[in-house]
Amino acid sequence: MTASTLPQRSVLRGIGVLHVAAVLVLAVVPFLLVFAISFGHKVEGAAWVWGFELTNYRRFFVGTDYPDSVSLLYLKYLWYSVWYALVAAILAVATAFPFVWLMTRGSRRAQTVWLVFFLCSLTFSEVFIVMGWDILMSNRSGLPMVFQETGLTDWLKENGGLDLLREWGLATPRNVRFKPSEFATILTLTYLVWPYAVILLYPPISKIEREVVEAARTMGASPFTVVRTVVMPMVRTPLVGAVLLLFVFLLGAYVTIAVFADPSKHTLSISVYEAVRGSTLNAPFGSAQAVVLLLTAAAVLVIGQRFLSAKTGGH
Amino acid sequence: MKGAEEVSDLILEDVRKEFGSFVAVQGANLTFEAGKLTALLGPSGCGKTTLLRMIAGLEGPTKGRILLNGQDIAPLPAEKRKFGMVFQSFALFPHLNVARNVSYSLRIAGVDAATRRARAQELLDLVQLGDKGQNRVGELSGGQRQRVAIARALAQEPEIFLLDEPMSALDAKLRNDMQMELRLLQQRLGITTIVVTHDQREAMTMADRIVVMSHGRVEQVGTPQEIYHRPANAFVASFIGNANLLQGLSTERGVRLGDTEFAVADHGGFGAGRAVTLFCRPEAVRLSDSVPAANGLPGTVTFVRDEGVAREVHLDTPAGHVTAEIPGSFHETVRIGDRVHVEFPADTLHLLPAIESKAA
Repeated sequence: MTASTLPQRSVLRGIGVLHVAAVLVLAVVPFLLVFAISFGHKVEGAAWVWGFELTNYRRFFVGTDYPDSVSLLYLKYLWYSVWYALVAAILAVATAFPFVWLMTRGSRRAQTVWLVFFLCSLTFSEVFIVMGWDILMSNRSGLPMVFQETGLTDWLKENGGLDLLREWGLATPRNVRFKPSEFATILTLTYLVWPYAVILLYPPISKIEREVVEAARTMGASPFTVVRTVVMPMVRTPLVGAVLLLFVFLLGAYVTIAVFADPSKHTLSISVYEAVRGSTLNAPFGSAQAVVLLLTAAAVLVIGQRFLSAKTGGH
Repeated sequence: MKGAEEVSDLILEDVRKEFGSFVAVQGANLTFEAGKLTALLGPSGCGKTTLLRMIAGLEGPTKGRILLNGQDIAPLPAEKRKFGMVFQSFALFPHLNVARNVSYSLRIAGVDAATRRARAQELLDLVQLGDKGQNRVGELSGGQRQRVAIARALAQEPEIFLLDEPMSALDAKLRNDMQMELRLLQQRLGITTIVVTHDQREAMTMADRIVVMSHGRVEQVGTPQEIYHRPANAFVASFIGNANLLQGLSTERGVRLGDTEFAVADHGGFGAGRAVTLFCRPEAVRLSDSVPAANGLPGTVTFVRDEGVAREVHLDTPAGHVTAEIPGSFHETVRIGDRVHVEFPADTLHLLPAIESKAA
């Protein structure tokens, strides 16, 4: 070892320590703060004080008045958080997959144009996208008016379609109605993450050699069978990975839920915001909800990882 | 395997393939004999792979018919033809183990699991990989992967067996071994086989017949010996092995190169006074210190490549550049600058169309 390498090593070590410290400060410390605050005590009519009580978690899982009565309100919010995020993530990946597959079969130039388009679309914020969909779904100027003006509403009335849509919560006795509804919520969430799904799936799918697909065809597999038996198994890990990533991303969606979801079907992200910034100003309870949401996301990621390990471990 | 007697020849009638304005294959008329191994040989971009892909059903011909058992199969997609095909990259499925790769076509055909396993084992035994069934594809060497690809292509008992540059991913030693193995396997199974290659040695080693292609055209079809000793034109002569190609004018009994007239065994039916190419293999050229009785030219040695078993001697002669291959005797030496006499034995000379007239 030369003398000149010693200062270099100490500089590198210093940079490493700074790096670890930065990660701790930026990622771990906020989480630890939230975790600590979740055990704090809310002073009625005032702010909160540090402490260690499980009141907030009890309120989340069984309600404030337990054991006199049980309230599952926040578990319901959690359920809707998971439901919306999971369905939208699966829908986005399921619909992006065939698109990306066809896209990668196209010319290089066409692929580049599509990728640039999707990268550009990522610059739109959630607020901007939701505003567009809000107009599209609006009862007075959006799709419901198109249905009415084109006579589609009358046709649905005559054929019993409107009654069916009413059962699904997508119509009034007079016309179709998309707001508020789970349909509009999930549709918008799906749209929100669709470009991400495309960009996540593009690298692994584009790497599949043309010859692998052709080999399957020469062995009697139709194009659909090739996708089912060769392409999808080859990209199983990226597919599940994309669903998990988008799921976690969507767990925190706020604007879409606030605009399109029925208040009785709101999610924890709305509830957390109301607790922390809303009229109640109950940071300990908001933190407890955030911790539960985080642990739920972690649990889903662990389940997904186990699923992949089980599938890829075999032949 | 279906025996050769059950399958008819594969016939291509005026098959043409265009990609936009580019013509990849120009009116190919070929007959691939049942049970024989035919090599499609030519340089990169000559259309041989396109022709193979049209036979496999991976490309549709722009024009022409592909006949098998009297039926035009050109409109059928690849999955309906089910010709076993080995690809340049082998194209094994990385998510399946070796046995499941081999039995993939049987799974698609709905064959039960027990039969699939038995058939996969039988084929793996055939390619001497009987103990590798449960291995992952990534755990195999290049040669083993190629054998798996061959076994997989044979699993569905194809009428036609297609191989696209199957040796190009292997090193030289393994390539030599696999050429022989593949040839022996093909002979044992008696399956109609078409191999695409740009390696003339590979084609000569394996094929019953060779189709030489250039610029989308079929230049010559023949046995390896016919192609080597009786090339149809200067392109074939130069692509298969080394060749001396000297430009001259045909005469009544041979060819005139400058002031010297040469007698030739194969006059080729050229009328007197026509521009022709004189063809002679380097190993047929003789060098001596004394003036030969006929068909001789003075020459100066410009380069000697010693290959151990033989020496390749490059010479300048009044008729142009000549290459001679002489036995690599330890005691005889030929040095750069030596002046020698070059003899072209009449029975080894053939006249071919002049290169200029062919290009025109």
